Amino acid sequence: MTDSAQSSRRVLLVDDDRALRYALTTLLTEAGHYVESVGDGPDALARLRDDTFDIVLLDIGLPSMSGLDVLATARARPTPPVVIMMTADDTPETLLQSVRGQAYRYLRKPFPPREIVDVVNDAVGPGAALSIEVVSARPEWLELVAPCTLEMADRIQSFVMHLDAKLPEDVREAVAQAFRELLTNAIEWGGKLDPSRKVRISCVRAKRMLFYRIADPGKGFDIDGLRHAAISNPDGDPIRHLLVREEQGLRPGGFGLAMTRSLVDELIYNEARNEVVFVKYLD
Amino acid sequence: MHIDERHVADVTILHLAGRLELEEGDLVLRDKVNDLVAKGRVKLILDLKDVTRLDSAGIGMLVSKYLSARQRGGSIKLVHLTRHSDHLLDITRLATVFEIFEDEADALKSFGVEAGA
Repeated sequence: MTDSAQSSRRVLLVDDDRALRYALTTLLTEAGHYVESVGDGPDALARLRDDTFDIVLLDIGLPSMSGLDVLATARARPTPPVVIMMTADDTPETLLQSVRGQAYRYLRKPFPPREIVDVVNDAVGPGAALSIEVVSARPEWLELVAPCTLEMADRIQSFVMHLDAKLPEDVREAVAQAFRELLTNAIEWGGKLDPSRKVRISCVRAKRMLFYRIADPGKGFDIDGLRHAAISNPDGDPIRHLLVREEQGLRPGGFGLAMTRSLVDELIYNEARNEVVFVKYLD
Repeated sequence: MHIDERHVADVTILHLAGRLELEEGDLVLRDKVNDLVAKGRVKLILDLKDVTRLDSAGIGMLVSKYLSARQRGGSIKLVHLTRHSDHLLDITRLATVFEIFEDEADALKSFGVEAGA
């Protein structure tokens, strides 16, 4: 969303770093938002008690009170603001507490200036109010149930990829891409982009492998009928399926399964093909 | 997705920055290329150096617009792919479809245009 006139929101910025507060206030004001800033948790709670904010940008490592406690109080309000966590703390436990506390996004400092503006603009959309159900929030086993929207795909991918931040870059990129493709397929084709339908995601981290399972609410599909996907293309014609997609009135694409097969070590569907597992081995 | 446009002779160079993904950049690219092709500007170079993320829908849009330009007698050529984007085009076998260059001057030369033109 780029129309600042439509997307202007009231933002409360909470960070004990005065220079960062100044920089972010300037950026977000230029992007069309109204910004107030405070330097600690009690002041943040006082402002939230006295006034209404759409979005809270919240540092976790505050001096007198953890940002996670501010998150819990803010989200317990009758009309809770969207809360975006910011932290230099890269422990999985901190991220998972943020997920459990219904943080909208989690930004690891330092982040590019443009990223904060994009995330705040995204947080203005109607999907920002949707909740993620946390079934398990252990570093070894993250399991979430979420509405089928593309915004939710961004949120979930952001959380999951932060957990994978310490993996080697090539592994992290491969896993992120495969996860994105399969999650988008589940939300778009299985969930029909319907926020009343839910997708279930499990991410299991063992010593020697990463295991991801995505279950969508659709009826599944017949893999032999995927003429609109690149996996059906004959050798030497990597774009034939695009003609099929055009005939069927489908948007350009269809490369997701072909990419995923190359990026992960195991890709396994259940019989109906509305649940998929992929595995990446780490040694 | 932000797209900066400039021209060298009859070649249009589009610098793409941001995400080229489903409903996050793919439609911006579609509209930009459709507009150019409608104006007869069918020789295009896409600079992908600052594309931060690319997915199946983004790749599909690249191919779709490549075919549009080809149908009008032009082409879309790619420069400055990130290592990850390069890998994705490789595993989807699209590196055999697109002409890919490391240097903009070489891409221009492939259209018969010198960089200083």
